[in-house]
Order: sequence, then structure tokens, then C-alpha cells
Amino acid sequence: MKKTLDLIAAPTGMQPGDYVPRVYSDRDGPQTPSVSLEVEHSTRGWRFHVRWPCPKPVQDTGGQSNLFPDAVALVAPSVPEAQWVTMGAPGLAIGGFLWRADREPLIRMRAEGFGTVQRSEAENVRQVTSEWNGGEWSLAFEVAGWKELDETRRLAIAVWRGSARERAGLKSVSPGWIEVGT
Amino acid sequence: MSNIRESQSAPRQLAMVLDLNKCLGCQTCTVACKKLWNKDSGSDYAYWNSVETLPGRGYPAEWQETGGRDSEGAVKRGEIPDIDTAYGRAWNFNHKKTFDSAGKPGAQKEWLRPDSNPKWGANWDEDRGAGEYPGNNHYFYLPRLCNHCTHPACLDACPRKSIYKREEDGIVLVDQDRCHGYRFCVEACPYKKVYFDYERQVANKCIFCLPRIEEGVPMACARQCPGRLRFVGYRDDPEGPIWKLVDKWKVALPLHPEYGLAPNVFYVPPMSPPQLDARGRPTGEPRIPLTYLESLFGDSVGGALETLVAEREKRKQGRPSELMDLLIAYDWNQSFALGPKDAEVSLE
Ligand code: SF4
Ligand code: SF4
Repeated sequence: MKKTLDLIAAPTGMQPGDYVPRVYSDRDGPQTPSVSLEVEHSTRGWRFHVRWPCPKPVQDTGGQSNLFPDAVALVAPSVPEAQWVTMGAPGLAIGGFLWRADREPLIRMRAEGFGTVQRSEAENVRQVTSEWNGGEWSLAFEVAGWKELDETRRLAIAVWRGSARERAGLKSVSPGWIEVGT
Repeated sequence: MSNIRESQSAPRQLAMVLDLNKCLGCQTCTVACKKLWNKDSGSDYAYWNSVETLPGRGYPAEWQETGGRDSEGAVKRGEIPDIDTAYGRAWNFNHKKTFDSAGKPGAQKEWLRPDSNPKWGANWDEDRGAGEYPGNNHYFYLPRLCNHCTHPACLDACPRKSIYKREEDGIVLVDQDRCHGYRFCVEACPYKKVYFDYERQVANKCIFCLPRIEEGVPMACARQCPGRLRFVGYRDDPEGPIWKLVDKWKVALPLHPEYGLAPNVFYVPPMSPPQLDARGRPTGEPRIPLTYLESLFGDSVGGALETLVAEREKRKQGRPSELMDLLIAYDWNQSFALGPKDAEVSLE
């Protein structure tokens, strides 16, 4: 599968807490308007290639209090009913992988609703390459076994633009799940 | 305050009062706190307790410019201070060069100095103050720590609910196991008293020395203060110093009450000597302008200063004053009311 996806700004009005929904209510439109996503499935597992525009990369956040890295997450529902926009729900988990420009390796993430993301070390991830060139990030990696994706064959993507101080629910996202086929 | 959804006041609230008339600016509190709790290298720039000279830019620089709540009670969008320009980076010194140059005949002596070229830091504008010598120059010290607010903006701001207020004493804490380092708390706290550990990638803040409090021992900053200007106890204890200074005598006021967070750290405002006119005669006008103090502590500051002056006069005349005796801290044990074990200071 190879697609260019239009992204939307994740709706801040739904975010947890009393702060983000109020002070970031003026966010209109995504910081990252689109991504190109290539997904291949083989006996080795899943291979992804993601490219997205980023005029000013943030790769090094070391020793700073106010820098946020560029980042991308690919996420899949554990069951078809799990919603992307809410980050899943109790009993309806979503799971995936987080790449941050300021660190290696990838991070495994799992959530059952807003504000519940659990991070752990990603296993079975190989061949990670990332490069920023001419205003664009290019990220490729392979995952040998991804339970949620193997079962539901659906994916969603989130992109954080570090230079715009995007983190947590401040992100550009695919509007819903994307069918990756077989 | 209908917009405050998340935060709630705790049934019991631990609080502190600081008498600014007695602060020496010695930073013993800053060091006591830093040494006890906050030596992680990723927050080397961070002082849970800091003491700044006012008028001044403060720590972090210009912290008073942003944040707080609007008239509806909603938290305003704040800033995350920069380490280099606002907090000030921890200095490295040329220890090795200084050591190597010592005692070498004919060698150029290398004096101890910072290796880097810092432009700002905590206490950078110490003792600078405002006004013109000798007519109206003035400054005072403002020790600052987390206010363990009744309506904490940091708690409201966290999308992961990593910040909570303890039921038993209202202490506001960060659960670092939950924290993902998003720094909405740093952004939202108008007092800029949550910090980011850039190595561990989590927020940290003053814990009101809770392991000491649980043993009935006052916070390190309060216990170590040579000026004996810190009072510790529960808001609702009519026998304790907090209730007496805040509610009974009304001389202890919150910092920036207009931010709407209902701080639980209170300040006895600084009295100041009179200004001098061109011929060096006292004018009767205080050196620290009342309007400036009002900008910090709100409209009640004038009344608090009047009470302080009146009670001081009483004491000068040899008449009793509960307020002055408490503030002078003759009996240091009266400064702390924490429970059965609080009388840890022996004056024998
Ligand atoms: S002073 Fe800041 S960090 Fe402390 S409780 Fe209030 S809002 Fe939170
Ligand atoms: S230890 Fe006491 S006197 Fe010294 S700076 Fe701190 S509050 Fe002021």
C-alpha cells in the first residue's frame, strides 16, 4: 500500500485536563498537512516508509527545558471497535510504535483512552532509518510481529512538529483508521 | 471559579508564612532544599526554593509576566522558560586550570571563574533593586517555592493526571511514573515552580518536604532558615501560627492573589524606612512604593502594613503584642505546628 494522506489537527476540545482544551482551542488546521505512507507486508513482517514535510527539524533536545522533538506514531486498533480519535477506550486498546527524532530506538506504546498511553521498549523493530533532507523527514522501519496490526489490518498516524512545540494531544493525525490490506 | 473543573481543595491544608522583614537573602534555604532533594543532573538549573531580589527580573527571568487565570477562572496559556535566557544554566568552573596553575613558579595565576559565559542565572540581579541612592533606593528579598495552591494550575494542565493534591495535607505532587514530560504544567504554573528534568524527561517540583512533615519535622527551608522567618502549620489550626498570621492578624498575604490559584504560601510584606528628600530629611513616604507591593500581594497589603507598624509601636512602648512576639520568633517552637512531634527544636 502506498498513499498520501491528508491530516487534520487532533481536536483539542476532546483532550483531557482543564488546560489544553481551553488554551489551545484556537488551533485551526494541522501543522503537518499531509504524509506519504508506504506499507509492505511480507513473511518478514511489516515494513513502513513514512515521509512528511517539516521545514525546521528538531532533532536535538538535549540539555534544554523548552524543546520538543519531531515525532511520528503509527498505531493500530486491537479490535475493530477501538476508536482512533479517543486513543482507544477501556478494554478497547490501541497499540503501536513511536519514533522520536531525538532518540533511539523506537518506543512501543499502548493506550486505552486519552491520557493512558503506556510506553515500553519496542521489540521486533529492525532496520530503522531516518533522515531529514530539504524540508522533509523520511523514516523507514520494519516490525517483525505487530499483534494489533496483524489482526485488524488498520493503521492510523500521528505527526508531532517539534518546532511548533507539539507534544501529547497537540499533533496532526489521520482522520481515522486506514485499511492497509494484506 | 466555575471553570475550575479538575482542581479541588483538600480537606486539610498545610501552609507556610514567610516574614519578608526578616529575610537576609542568605540562600541557606535554597541550598538546604537543593542538597536534600534536587541533585539530579537533568535539573541542575532548577531551584525548588529560590530567593530573588525585588524589584528585579526574578527567577526565571520575567516569571511574573505570564500565566494565571482569567476573570472567568480559566487558566491562561503560559510559557516554558528557556534555560539559557530565563533560568540560567548551572555554571561549570575552571577548577582544573586553577589547580594546575597554583604554585608553579613563573606561571600565570589562573583565578577561579565560570568556564562558560553566562548571561543570566538565579540571583543574577541580587541586591540591585530600584530607586536612586540616597533618596529612595530600595530592595527586599522574596524567597519563593511552590505554593501548593488550592486550585493548582499545574494539576489542571496535565493531560495524564500525573499531578495530584494529597487529601491529608493538600501537598501538590508529580507522579513521575505517570509523567511523560509534556511540560503543560511548566507552561501553566504562573509562579514557574514546576521544572523539567531534561535527562529523565519528567517534571519535578517542591514536595513540601513531605517525608519530614509526616514525622512532624518542618521543611528543610524553614528549619534551616537563620532568619527564623518561616512559619509552618495547617490553615485550619487556630492554635497554630498560620491561622494567627493569615486569618486573625491578616498580615500574611498570598503572592499574586489575582492569579486565582489560592496559594498556601503567604508573605508578611516588607516595611521600609522613609525616603529622603533632597536635603536628606525623611519624607514619611516608604521607600518601597505601596503600589509596587500591591502589584505583588494585592489590595490588602496597605492594611497589613498598618497593623505591623501599630503592633511594632506597641511593643516598642513595652506593651504586649501577640503578633510581634510571634513574628520575632522568641520561641521557635511556636513557628511550627505540625503535630505531636513538632517540638523538635530545643532551646535549652
Ligand atoms: S505554585 Fe505552581 S506548581 Fe505549585 S501548586 Fe501552584 S500551580 Fe502547581
Ligand atoms: S534561609 Fe531564611 S533568611 Fe536565608 S534566604 Fe532563605 S528565607 Fe531568607
